[in-house]
Amino acid sequence: MAIVVNLDVMMAKRKMSLNELSEKVELTLSNLSILKTGKAKAVRFSTLEAICRALECQPGDILEYVNEPEK
Amino acid sequence: MKIKMSTPKILRTLYFLSWIIFTGLCIEAGGFIINAFFALVHPSAISRLWKEVDLSGLFQSGHGYFFVVTLIMSIVAVMKVWLFFLIIKNLQNKKLNITKPFNMEIRHLIFLLSYISLIIGLFCLSGGKYIEWLVLKGIRVPDIQYLGLGGYDVWLFMAVILFVVGQVFKRGIEIQTENELTI
Repeated sequence: MAIVVNLDVMMAKRKMSLNELSEKVELTLSNLSILKTGKAKAVRFSTLEAICRALECQPGDILEYVNEPEK
Repeated sequence: MKIKMSTPKILRTLYFLSWIIFTGLCIEAGGFIINAFFALVHPSAISRLWKEVDLSGLFQSGHGYFFVVTLIMSIVAVMKVWLFFLIIKNLQNKKLNITKPFNMEIRHLIFLLSYISLIIGLFCLSGGKYIEWLVLKGIRVPDIQYLGLGGYDVWLFMAVILFVVGQVFKRGIEIQTENELTI
């Protein structure tokens, strides 16, 4: 997918573990794992808001567009 | 008085009804197949065979005609048995999960049921046309309803409807997967 999730990069920058983030944003570990590994098809604004609040960052720090040739 | 039935109850009722229909169809298919074998051994009993359907006129006109009609009847009967076997199998294994109804197994089942209905419809149609041709030749043949070859249009209609439902299911699976992967 052309949208890359840089959640792991931001977590590393904030030195936050997946468990800690899971508790702060009230998401299950499996859902966070889906988001982190880039398997997610969509992200709710409310989830994005909670992650940005927990990691003290902007949506652009988590999501990135990478130009990929069309299949 | 309003009667409310929950989906599991409806499914249980359908399962029960499917078993009854399946048993009846098994008996019918068995009857047709045994008829064909019995005709070889005891040709004089043809007029008193399955459901008292008199195929003696057909048998006397030519053994080939008799066996072609019996073969088509048997194929249609066996396909109907297969159709209900698949329905029972899926209802028994509880493949239909109401909380997540869109899954590949059900989609596969719907397409399979559609193809089986199409084959039954085509065999009924060709059987009906063959019997029409035999009647035009002056051979005495019972009505196609008694031979289990009636209603080809209904079978074809069902095949088309099931195919469309299968296509809708395909999209449903995509939407469900997308929904599951929305965080």
